[in-house]
Amino acid sequence: MTLLEPVRQRPIALPQSDQSGPRVRRWIPSWMQRLHDSLVAYGLMLPAVAVFIVFFYIPAAYLLYISFFHWGILSSATRFVGLANFRTLFAQPLFLHSLVTSAYYTAVMIPATVLLSLGIALLLKEGLSKRRGAIWRGAVFLPHVTPVVATAIIWVWIFNPQFGLANFVLTSVHLPALGWLGSVNWALPAVMIDSLWHSLGLYVIIFLAGLASVPRDLIEVARLDGAPRHHIFRRIIWPLLSPTTFLVVLLATVNTWQAFSQIFAMTGGPHGGAGGPAYATTTDAVLIYQTAFIYFNFSLAAAMSTILFGIIMTLSLIQKWISDRVVFYR
Amino acid sequence: MARVELKNATKQYGNGQAPAVSSADLVIDEGDFVVLLGPSGCGKSTTLRMIAGLEALTSGELWFDDRLVNGDPPDRRNVGMVFQNYALYPHMTVEQNLSFGLKAARTPKAEVRQRVAEIAHLLGLDTYLGRRPKELSGGQRQRVALGRALMRRPAVFLMDEPLSNLDANLREQMRIELARLHGQLGITTVYVTHDQNEALTLADRVVVMESGKIRQCGSPAEVYGQPADTFVAGFIGSPGMNLWTAGWDDDGKSVWLGGRAVCLPRSYLPVLEDLGPSITVGIRPEHLGLFRTGADVEVVCQVEVLEQLGSHTQLHAEVELAGEDRARLVARLDAAFAVHSGEKLVLTAPSGAVHLFDAESGRRVDVDQRSLAGALVR
Repeated sequence: MTLLEPVRQRPIALPQSDQSGPRVRRWIPSWMQRLHDSLVAYGLMLPAVAVFIVFFYIPAAYLLYISFFHWGILSSATRFVGLANFRTLFAQPLFLHSLVTSAYYTAVMIPATVLLSLGIALLLKEGLSKRRGAIWRGAVFLPHVTPVVATAIIWVWIFNPQFGLANFVLTSVHLPALGWLGSVNWALPAVMIDSLWHSLGLYVIIFLAGLASVPRDLIEVARLDGAPRHHIFRRIIWPLLSPTTFLVVLLATVNTWQAFSQIFAMTGGPHGGAGGPAYATTTDAVLIYQTAFIYFNFSLAAAMSTILFGIIMTLSLIQKWISDRVVFYR
Repeated sequence: MARVELKNATKQYGNGQAPAVSSADLVIDEGDFVVLLGPSGCGKSTTLRMIAGLEALTSGELWFDDRLVNGDPPDRRNVGMVFQNYALYPHMTVEQNLSFGLKAARTPKAEVRQRVAEIAHLLGLDTYLGRRPKELSGGQRQRVALGRALMRRPAVFLMDEPLSNLDANLREQMRIELARLHGQLGITTVYVTHDQNEALTLADRVVVMESGKIRQCGSPAEVYGQPADTFVAGFIGSPGMNLWTAGWDDDGKSVWLGGRAVCLPRSYLPVLEDLGPSITVGIRPEHLGLFRTGADVEVVCQVEVLEQLGSHTQLHAEVELAGEDRARLVARLDAAFAVHSGEKLVLTAPSGAVHLFDAESGRRVDVDQRSLAGALVR
């Protein structure tokens, strides 16, 4: 806008007073009106943004800051060390092992989560009457609202090598009993079973919502066309469910990489010695906890957290990139 | 092409609930264009879905030619169906939508390509084959839905309110296109609508339904000219037929209905005596007029509202029946007549325009107009 251009103005209607008289109109410049609108908008957003800033952005920024320092919780020997913490981590076999364990855990959990939750959702939607469906939906969702530690205690009992239900079932079908949480090979699968059992309810509900959004007419047209069930699922339901599947994969990836509570509750002793046996269940999150709160090395824990954040961020971006090409949004 | 027959077909969704379709008997001849017409919830879509195999019959029989198809799944009935909201696969192109059924049936690729080309040419979709449904207009989507239903050369073509999502102009165009298509292909067609214009212009036969029951099945001229009962009389026509239920009396010169509201010629006397002390009389709005020559039915009314509709004037009036009873009247008058609201008028109609119904059952009572004319002459 040049100086010669007239200032654009807009009328502001003020509320009429009770006294009778001519209606009062005040004219203010448009830039002032825009400023007023912006202030109101930011003011309304402020409470939510403030919570985010105080409880997420400041701690995250502080974590990143600490990861570049040698940082003592009680001493004043804090000094800038650059990338030394990261170099130390990548030279530690245990840290690399924890990354591999986390990756293995995620790689098994994501497909298992998607397949099982989608399968259960399809069963609940197609295979049951309305009333029975409601009861089963509640039953499937119930574990998700039960505290992780409580369910972990149940599963520790189930996986007890001597008198647990899991070995009872195995031996009753003439399969060898397993060491479960005491075995290097079977401890992580045992944790996975508990995690799946606990988290599936949420993903089943998400898939049920996704299935409900697939128009019934499309399925009926396909039935009229003579398409077999698997063809209808593969060519119609699955593509239309892709946004839901993407959401489930994204949520499950983030939750799985951060898995901690169930591992801690199932494998940890009274002194925090989780992640065993022989580091078989030491995921990244478990190692971060132990480094920070057992060995009190906050700098290394912060560097690990930064790396974990970077991994989750990268995975999410890759998923987004794939979804832009594969996911069909109506 | 197939002949479709419903025998005592009933559909009930839950125990204790009123049936959605109740004891429907209907024969649809080979190549016929039959329209199921009725208000929302009358059971017309359920009937269509039973024919398609998307709903199982609770009782009764459904025959395609000489084959009982009650237990057959939809794909074994060889029907094509067009849904109200088109039901196109949104993630597929027009070509993929058209070819979906044939590919599912493992038809050779060359044949699929040939059929797609044929149908696309028939419906003018050649240039849109690579587009997805959201890139098409309403009319184009409708044509894709029609094309997809035609791909498998169905024996019966089912359409569930296929034009209801289109604007008025497009609806008219598509109506003509549907009529042309039926003339060209001659497939037995069952069409569901609540729009009587669509029904009367497209159908060989109209099936009027209400509360799950078939009220009348006949040609458009029959359901308009000889409605089977008061429901059909009131439903068909825009506006529907004027219906007045009242007692009658004879003053020696004429027969009067509802005190001195409606005057019928005395030739009606034998018929009215047969019907009892109370009857329902119906006259279509377009058959009422002012100063009509040869008119021998009179209706006394008081004008309430006048609607100027250009070619004609629609008059809404009140008819004063015996006692405190008031009845509504609608008449379609020539725009040239100067009528004012509040005015008391005597409207006339030829005696052939009068329909009589049993006051209790609402069923039509057929009156031999020739014998009436004879009586009049006598």
